[in-house]
Amino acid sequence: MVKQFSIFLENKPGRLSSVIDLFERNQIRVLAMGIAEAGNYGIVRCILDAPERAAEVLRNANTAVNLVEVVIIEMKDLYSAVKVLGDKGINVDYAYTMDMGRIVIKVDDESKAKKVLSEAGIRTY
Amino acid sequence: MSVQAYSMSKKQIKELQAKKIKELVSRVYENSPFYRRRLKEAGVDVTNFRPEDIRKIPFTTKTDLRDNYPLGLISVDKSRIVRMHASSGTTGNPTVVAYTKKDIDAWAELNKRCLEACGVTSEDVVQVSYGYGLFTGGLGLHYGAERLGAKVIPASTGNTKRQLKLMKDLGTTVLACTPSYALFLSESAKEEGIDPKKDLRLRVGVLGAEPWSESTRKVLEDEFMQSAHDIYGMSELNGPGVAIECRKKNGLHVWEDHYLVEIIDPNTGEVLEPGEKGEMVVTTLEKEGMPLLRYRTRDITILEDDACECGMAHARIKKILGRTDDMLKIRGICVFPSQIEEVISGFEGLTPFYQLVVDRDGPLDRLLVKVEVSEDFKSDRLTEIVDLQKRLEEELRDVLSISAAVELTEPRTLPRSEGKAQRIIDLRKI
Repeated sequence: MVKQFSIFLENKPGRLSSVIDLFERNQIRVLAMGIAEAGNYGIVRCILDAPERAAEVLRNANTAVNLVEVVIIEMKDLYSAVKVLGDKGINVDYAYTMDMGRIVIKVDDESKAKKVLSEAGIRTY
Repeated sequence: MSVQAYSMSKKQIKELQAKKIKELVSRVYENSPFYRRRLKEAGVDVTNFRPEDIRKIPFTTKTDLRDNYPLGLISVDKSRIVRMHASSGTTGNPTVVAYTKKDIDAWAELNKRCLEACGVTSEDVVQVSYGYGLFTGGLGLHYGAERLGAKVIPASTGNTKRQLKLMKDLGTTVLACTPSYALFLSESAKEEGIDPKKDLRLRVGVLGAEPWSESTRKVLEDEFMQSAHDIYGMSELNGPGVAIECRKKNGLHVWEDHYLVEIIDPNTGEVLEPGEKGEMVVTTLEKEGMPLLRYRTRDITILEDDACECGMAHARIKKILGRTDDMLKIRGICVFPSQIEEVISGFEGLTPFYQLVVDRDGPLDRLLVKVEVSEDFKSDRLTEIVDLQKRLEEELRDVLSISAAVELTEPRTLPRSEGKAQRIIDLRKI
């Protein structure tokens, strides 16, 4: 299962840049990123190529960060995937696109989602 | 003296107070032109003074100290003064307080009692990280610990890395400092790679000079020290050592053989009953150099006179709820920072650090409460965060009776301080 980083950031100039800069300095590559905002703060959600190191780097920087399990599918499977999930009563909380023609999906039941998707012949990561 | 102080009954305390207040009133009438005039004007019969006549004595205020700067309120010949302390004079003259040799001795004794009441013994290593100098915190606790026979480290404030090194290398078991500095030391220990549970031996914290909450106690006792105690005092009343939380932590015992406490309505001056919230007014029964009659401390608390499980009969004050000076008037409503602190402490994922910003939108005052999230804050679902913010705002409105906007900030972004925390920014133009 892929772990997504959810980082709490204040919504003001320079905050996002400071986090990306932290990744850059530690040779951590951002594979996918989405931002949700509400007023003076927001959540930066991202998939990183070195999750363990990233967790340590973020912890050392005193960041409010949570790790969340997400499902990644191919963009070409989008139509059939959301149909399968909907039919099986699994809710998609949010989604955002990723490099290499993929989509990151956060659902309310990750293991069930992986199971029903693989039964429908849809590849997940 | 010490043993007797702990075992006095309520009746003995009342009798002693009645005797001492009569002596005090005659003494200041004889020796202080200021109080002679005051007592005369108020028509107080000094010769036949009865304990209940205390209510006829006018209050002494900080303004009286400033107006009679520097030493207009002393009640002894100047030659007997051996020490003077002064508070920061942010508005005009500083407040100067003066001690005789006997006053310094009594002050040391009271601080020794405070340390003993929270379980400190001569075996302890006491690091005094209050400021030494004009501020009374450092020297007061220093004298108390020394009189107790403990090993004292006069670390004073600042140089946090060195503080932690001393704590670790010298095996500090008791830390005396402001609660905000204790929090800062606790955080800094982690940054320095020091595990307080393994590397330090902190048993007791003696924390005062600013109001603090149960949430701060919880953080400190979970992460930094076994037992955090509140100590109360102010330079006008010698300094620290006026009241202390015993091991039951059920309010702060006031040493009633030295201090007579009343709680008044700050607006009308009317004396309130035990259990009622108001401003603490203190009469110093033993001070020689600069005794004060009915001194308005500006601290808001509640007097509790029922028995404490620890067995000491000295009445207790509740943790200070706020200062009449810290009291913010927002849209005509009195708001105390401590009320906000208590609300914040009821929520998970938030730190005890906060900041209040008051400004004005046209004719209306606006209160913004900046609250810092902790590193384990649940940060994935925006709806949950928005909901937390709404619940905080609702609870603040319930408690304060005015609406406040909440702004969540990232971990370690609100200012920490090494002395008293600066938590209020008032941008209103008067």
